[in-house]
Amino acid sequence: MNEDFWLIVPVVAVWALLGLAYALAPWGDMIGYAWVWGFGSVLFLALAGLLLWRRPPDSAPPG
Amino acid sequence: MGSTYKERFAALPARDRRLLVAMSAAALGMLLLGIVGGLLTALARGGLIDILPNTGYRLLTLHGVSIFFYWLFIAQAALLLGFAAVEQGRGLLRRGLAWLGFALMLAGFGASMAGAHIGVPLLYDGAPGLGALTPSGLLVFNLGYLLLGMGLLVLPAAAIVTLLTPRWEGRQDRLSAVGFALFAWAGFLMVSGFAALYTFLPGTLWALGLGAFPENHGTNWHIVFHNMHYLPLMATVILWYVLVQALTGVKSVFGERFSKIVFAMYLVFVPPTSLYHMFLEPDLPGAVRVTGSLLSLFVSVPTLTAFLIIIASLEIHARGQGGRGLFGWLRVLPWRHPAMSALAVAVLSMGLGIVFAFVLIQERLAPLLSDTFFVPGYFHFFTVGTVSLTLLAALAVMLPALGGRPLWRPGLLRWMPWLVFVGLLVFGAAGVAAGYLGVPRRVIDVAYQGQAPMLWQGLMLAIAIGGAVMASALAVMAAGVAASLWRGRVPVPASAGLTVDWGGGTPAPGVAAWMGPLSVLIIVAAMYLFTALGFELMQWLPVTASGGGGH
Repeated sequence: MNEDFWLIVPVVAVWALLGLAYALAPWGDMIGYAWVWGFGSVLFLALAGLLLWRRPPDSAPPG
Repeated sequence: MGSTYKERFAALPARDRRLLVAMSAAALGMLLLGIVGGLLTALARGGLIDILPNTGYRLLTLHGVSIFFYWLFIAQAALLLGFAAVEQGRGLLRRGLAWLGFALMLAGFGASMAGAHIGVPLLYDGAPGLGALTPSGLLVFNLGYLLLGMGLLVLPAAAIVTLLTPRWEGRQDRLSAVGFALFAWAGFLMVSGFAALYTFLPGTLWALGLGAFPENHGTNWHIVFHNMHYLPLMATVILWYVLVQALTGVKSVFGERFSKIVFAMYLVFVPPTSLYHMFLEPDLPGAVRVTGSLLSLFVSVPTLTAFLIIIASLEIHARGQGGRGLFGWLRVLPWRHPAMSALAVAVLSMGLGIVFAFVLIQERLAPLLSDTFFVPGYFHFFTVGTVSLTLLAALAVMLPALGGRPLWRPGLLRWMPWLVFVGLLVFGAAGVAAGYLGVPRRVIDVAYQGQAPMLWQGLMLAIAIGGAVMASALAVMAAGVAASLWRGRVPVPASAGLTVDWGGGTPAPGVAAWMGPLSVLIIVAAMYLFTALGFELMQWLPVTASGGGGH
């Protein structure tokens, strides 16, 4: 895990919290906001996972 | 791998170059089409040409759809793929996904254009209420945005795979600042694609007889709109960062990690600030309005921080090249390259855009100004002056390197951004003034059978003249950049003399860089001034505007 991963973590957290807040908000019919930010949270979680996926340096192909 | 962007683009495989050229050509064509639509609309509003109101709305639809959705996003997609492909110097991976995404976007453009010519003109937000009498038009129009959304979901995956493969293969420990920025940009493009699907699917299903009428389209539109106008701003700042490196060789003096933090800040700050779009909703509780107002203050924090990094880095290096005085360092910048002029105008336009954006998003002013000409008056500083000129600047760097043809008449093109800016200042000043005076937007004839104040028509005439200057200069700039789409017969000389390379020098310690902080200070002071002016005018004038659907 390096800085690339840790910089995406707050994005996932903020978007998830916001999605939840909009899903529970009793005003303005803002469920669309919840869907979009919720989708974004899941997407960036997956992208953060891709940042963790790494072959060890000693097994890297030459070049 | 070459050390400069020019060398790296020139070394891309032919298959990558074909894709990037095709996408750039499509984007520039859409820009030119949208400029024609915008120019005719402005002339009609100014009373310089006489067209039926319905034709005017159709032209306005053509303008907004072509530029705001397709030019901005296909150009972004092309530049994302291009800079991702050269980031590791190994070309694009999963190219099939990129072609598929591009094909979906092109098909979307065709459908959107067809939809704009069927039934009632829907304007760029495709409000189902307008299309209720002609569901077939709404169906075709929405199909365009759905295809665009699908394209935006698919295409960035190619950039992500390209950026991360060296890491997966254990050849890279961490992304560069540019690589991280491209990675974040790609993710945000995908989220925006999803937002477009979420917003326009209900109307499509209704038009097909498969769903209920989408009563809440206005609320859903706000969220796609929020994404669709912040994403180009994020792209703009990333491209400034890359272009400064391409034109001068200068990298951030604050280090790669700090740049990554700023790019990540975009993604952290953008969602919470979306609340201000709801200020026009009558049932929004007071506490939520206050919260939205406070959150909206954060909206430009990442943009201004990135601006400070770039300007400070540039100023420090320029002073190392002999630049003296508060403004004297600007003289040593590579002004012979049209991209440098475009960047300068983009920065100035962004400053003005931010000032007026902060006036508009205040809870008390938003309902009064949102349906007036204030909105197009201020947002052209962003869409034209800031984003479009930045995208053109990036294409002016990428396309000549891809095609091996020198940039067409750089001595002429470098003046076009300034001419755009002159037109924009006239258009923006008249537009903002018209908004303060209550002139409605989206109305082709504001004379109201002679009942409207005389000043309104005078301001519309100024808007038409400013718009004509802005559109003409932008069209010349776009056409000039498009000339690089044709592959050159003779390779471009190693140094065309348009750029400088200050990257090798280490800036002397203790060099002061005042331009960035001073600019932010001026922006804050101007925000205060125009907000106070807005309140004063609204209290004194008998004409008031009430918000309906937001922007």
